[in-house]
Amino acid sequence: MYELARKALKMAEQAGAEEAEIYYAANHSTGVNFKKDSLENARDYFSEGIGIRAIVNGAVGFASTNSVAELENTVKIAVAEARVRENDPDWVGLPSNGKYPQVSGIFDKKVEAIELEECIGYAVELVEGTKEVPGTFPTSGGFNRSKGKRLILNTNGIETEEESTAVSAFVFVITANGDTSTAYDFAVSRSLDIDFFAIGKNASDLALKSREGIKIKPQKTDVIFHPFAFSDILEEALAPSLDADNVQKGRSGLIGKLEEEIADPELCIYDDGLVEAGIETSSSDDEGVPSQHSTVVENGVLKSYLYDSYTAGKAGVKSTGNGSRSSYNSPPSVGLRNFIIDYPQEDLIASTSSGVFVNTIIGAHTANSISGDFSVEARNAFTIKDGALEKPVKSLMISGNAFELLKNITGAGFDVRKVGGIITPSIRVSGMSVIG
Amino acid sequence: MNISMQDIKFYDCRVMEGSSTSVVLDNGKIEEISRNFTKGAGIRALCGGSWGYTAVEGDINLKRGVEAASKLAFSMNANTHKEEVELAAVVSPEVKDLPEVRIDPRDIAIEEKVSLLKSIEKHAKLEGVQSTKVMYFESEFKVEYRNSEGLECDYELLNVGFSVSAVASENGVYQAGRESHFGYGYELFEKENVFELAEKAGKNALELLKAKTPKGGEMPVVLDQELAGVFAHEAVGHASEADLVLEGDSILENRIGEQIASPLITIIDDPTLHEFGYYPFDAEGSQSKRTEIIRDGVFNSYLHSRETAAKLGGSPGNCRAQSYSIPVVRMSNTFIDNGDSRFEEMLEEVQNGMYLIGSRGGQVNTGEGIFQFNAEKGYLIKNGELADLVRDVSLSGKTLEILNHVTLVANDLKMTAGRCGKAGQLVPVSDGSPHIAISKALVGGA
Repeated sequence: MYELARKALKMAEQAGAEEAEIYYAANHSTGVNFKKDSLENARDYFSEGIGIRAIVNGAVGFASTNSVAELENTVKIAVAEARVRENDPDWVGLPSNGKYPQVSGIFDKKVEAIELEECIGYAVELVEGTKEVPGTFPTSGGFNRSKGKRLILNTNGIETEEESTAVSAFVFVITANGDTSTAYDFAVSRSLDIDFFAIGKNASDLALKSREGIKIKPQKTDVIFHPFAFSDILEEALAPSLDADNVQKGRSGLIGKLEEEIADPELCIYDDGLVEAGIETSSSDDEGVPSQHSTVVENGVLKSYLYDSYTAGKAGVKSTGNGSRSSYNSPPSVGLRNFIIDYPQEDLIASTSSGVFVNTIIGAHTANSISGDFSVEARNAFTIKDGALEKPVKSLMISGNAFELLKNITGAGFDVRKVGGIITPSIRVSGMSVIG
Repeated sequence: MNISMQDIKFYDCRVMEGSSTSVVLDNGKIEEISRNFTKGAGIRALCGGSWGYTAVEGDINLKRGVEAASKLAFSMNANTHKEEVELAAVVSPEVKDLPEVRIDPRDIAIEEKVSLLKSIEKHAKLEGVQSTKVMYFESEFKVEYRNSEGLECDYELLNVGFSVSAVASENGVYQAGRESHFGYGYELFEKENVFELAEKAGKNALELLKAKTPKGGEMPVVLDQELAGVFAHEAVGHASEADLVLEGDSILENRIGEQIASPLITIIDDPTLHEFGYYPFDAEGSQSKRTEIIRDGVFNSYLHSRETAAKLGGSPGNCRAQSYSIPVVRMSNTFIDNGDSRFEEMLEEVQNGMYLIGSRGGQVNTGEGIFQFNAEKGYLIKNGELADLVRDVSLSGKTLEILNHVTLVANDLKMTAGRCGKAGQLVPVSDGSPHIAISKALVGGA
């Protein structure tokens, strides 16, 4: 299919497209998964496909396929769809600047070369890690590695090709006897720098420590969110409001807030497609716009929304390189790149006299993505007393608002973690409403 | 590596081919028209206690696919000690009673679809509504299944659906209303009053602006059909999936035959219903069939794949996959069965509490039996009557406690279509319930 990408671009022009874009993606991933402590299956996935955007009279049509036999038909349909649509006055054009920055750390030859036996070895290490902690056992988990290739071509001269690798490991554990408690841990990386044994052990430690949770009184208190919990809230309750498409359509809680103070003055947030070895790092975004480092919040002040080329054209600004696709079969839309939370770091638990530490949350996706309101169930939560974790809390509901939360941040830990593309330390927020 | 096919106890292939169309209309403008053609296969092979799985998109050579999956299974098995996997027996499924399609959506011009969407959108755009969005989708696909035991079967299915959302704002407060519907043919748009649904979405967004955020706490509640359906699916359905039970990640492990719920509660999973979770046979070629998960409060059955059915005793029929992914145990159309109470009786029974309506989703921890759902809205119940409208309310608690605290079940069962995520795969499902009253639950608010 790769060989046909250039041909498909020509076909689109011949079919009457004024502008056209070919997005080719191929991926091969291998995973080894376990249930309890026994390896259950090994999986190999091969995917490859092409997505076509065709523009006629300022209107865009999109079609995709993974079948060579259907390619020509698919190209024609993309053009025919564009013809159905009325001229879109907000359409400016496909990207044209093809000068790309150098990025590093996103392709690891070793990951590409891993044999199945090695994958099995890493999965076994995850399981062994959980066994280090008596009284717990893994319920499920696995190791996965993947290699991807992406090619973007358009009629404005964009041509960019990139290969990347990724490995991931995850493990879910449960306590064996007495009070039931669960926990999980995971890591995603571009190379094999993951300590698989430690991931298994961490999860088991946490499950064991979470047993016999107490009830606490409904109150307003300091809550420290572990990077897992905090990134969930950012992604579901804050990120949608930074999406320029939502801003332009009246669906963002940050409309009209540019250059306004929206957060604690010590908070900075960056969106960065260039981070060394970042999960969202790439020389360009998914429509061929060069990746960049964008300041989203500087010292508490909102500096920029996030744009793909369409929303940027509509607003008369430059794309921030946030054109993103989940697959070759979807057209681009605005998505986060590496999203970095920066706040002065300290020994966070030690500097907290009383409050709650929350490792993970469930239900973040139920947040109101416009108003920023959320109500989530905290898991593996602990009370904090005099600068130390005190007792596990069985069940805890945390309600709040993402925008209020930004203003009430009072501290960050040293434990910066890459949770997929979100890079954040633990964050302390004052005055959170909790019901135990 | 030397591998002979004698080592491979079982293999199967699912070959799929289909296409989908989606149209997105946003604030009166077509935002997206897209088409996708897809083709591919998922192939499993079993060697001793290990599965190998190969998924290939595009044109595929099945023989090579089986060899690749066999190799994976073989080396997994050689590298680990595991008890042999047995599979419950299945017979060739009967493919019958497929949903009828009167109007094939592919016979309707795209222009006509767009103009229908525009009228739907107009109905949602009530005064005070800032923005609206209508999404249309249709998909048709063919599944061919065959395995090493000689089973061969196939079916084709067509789906049509749409959703409409409206956003209203006032003084920096944004609220959204959403409605959706789906069916098997384009006649969906004749049968259902889609304009009414659109108006409802708009009205909801406007009403929510005026709603208050209530004080949380423990109180008696009434759940509407949608939220109670989400509870049946998330809290009970997932915990009854036999793969989770075998992982030791379900509170329902070893509970068959036990009274785990109020005798008023019967929960059923039924893929034969022509709802969004319909299928004639599952991803292992097992005939789809109705399963009573809970009958009159007694836990009756897990949901099974062939592997889990052989291990735990039971019958397969709930093994499903998203496109080319590996099949796992899933629900289909899951619901709390009708009781005989009326909604008014429930308010009377509750006296003071909350009526929770709709769902913005939820999550559950099946191992600990804890769940959390966010309602779309609610009403305070004061002195047995509906009072103030409230928003940003959520429901959380322990699954088994809630099941036992059900005091009334109405007779107004209604199903809602959705997509369920598990093991990184989304599959179409529906869930539903009649209204139910619960004597005590934790409601989250401000």
